Amino acid sequence: MRYALRAPTYAGLAVVYAYRWTLGVLWGGRCKYHPTCSQYALDALRHYGLVRGSILACWRLLRCNPWSRGGVDYAEKQRLFR
Amino acid sequence: MILGSPLTPLEDILRNVLDWLHGSIGLSWAWSIVALTVIVRLLLVPLMVRQIHSMQNLQRHAPQMKELQKKYKADKKRQQEELMKFYRENNINPAASCLPLLAQFPVFISLYLVLRHFSKHPPPGDLSWLHGFVPNIAAHASSHWSGFVLLAIYVVSQLVSTLLMARTMLLVLPVAFVFFLVNFPVGLVIYWVTTNLWTVGQGLITRQMMPKPAPPPRRSSRTPPQEETPPEDGARDTATVPAPAAAPAAPKRVRRKRKKRGGARR
Repeated sequence: MRYALRAPTYAGLAVVYAYRWTLGVLWGGRCKYHPTCSQYALDALRHYGLVRGSILACWRLLRCNPWSRGGVDYAEKQRLFR
Repeated sequence: MILGSPLTPLEDILRNVLDWLHGSIGLSWAWSIVALTVIVRLLLVPLMVRQIHSMQNLQRHAPQMKELQKKYKADKKRQQEELMKFYRENNINPAASCLPLLAQFPVFISLYLVLRHFSKHPPPGDLSWLHGFVPNIAAHASSHWSGFVLLAIYVVSQLVSTLLMARTMLLVLPVAFVFFLVNFPVGLVIYWVTTNLWTVGQGLITRQMMPKPAPPPRRSSRTPPQEETPPEDGARDTATVPAPAAAPAAPKRVRRKRKKRGGARR
């Protein structure tokens, strides 16, 4: 039952893993953050569920642009949802 | 359809640009796709300039970063964290970032949708050589040799661009990817090949523009002890021997010391 409730989260995780094993390998972008964007997305999904995790992951992707400075940024230390 | 709807504006733009390239400029459909790809990549050139700047900046700090990597050799996670902190402190902006990479994805999907649409409603014209709207490159290859050539060029370009990125472990991938690509429209393979070739060219230009300051910093890190020792020698020598004789003597000593150090390390 607990696993059934978490099904949407698993779907989100599956999407990220699908990216990692296909396009992630092919394009092989390196991230300027630590952990990388995909790892951040996985952590965020695991900790905050599909909706909040996806929002966090999208926000992180938007921050991972050529004009940002990068750095250390863990999903657990986010300040969007408290 | 669900995926198509948010991409419709992008699809319309791509379709219009393709129509314009074919109709007004008079390129064949295949070359129109090539031109379209070049336009897309040209829009990304400012990113490349930024990348060169940040790579130069990175090279300037290379010795310090190597030290950091040595220091945290055992703990990979800590090493990454410290590196990132170092970037922040020294105002280094690492070139790579995820968003530009992902931004190419919608373009690719839209192009796929546009080409699929075209292949269902083929425009009139010459359909023989590298016709971009054949829905399936395998079908094209079996009917015309140019399909094989295109696939071969794809594999080579993918290999070279992978090599340029120094990711040797992934060299198997392009070969494996051919089996996946086989079901793509020919036009999409043309797009992919053009992007790859552009990436290769860009990489080569970037390499040319990069002075390789890797050896000089090493020397400069060694020079301080050199500079420190000769004055001492010089101070002693000037008391006893005239200065011009001391100058050639000092470097010789240093060289011997270096050799000994090298031997001890080995």
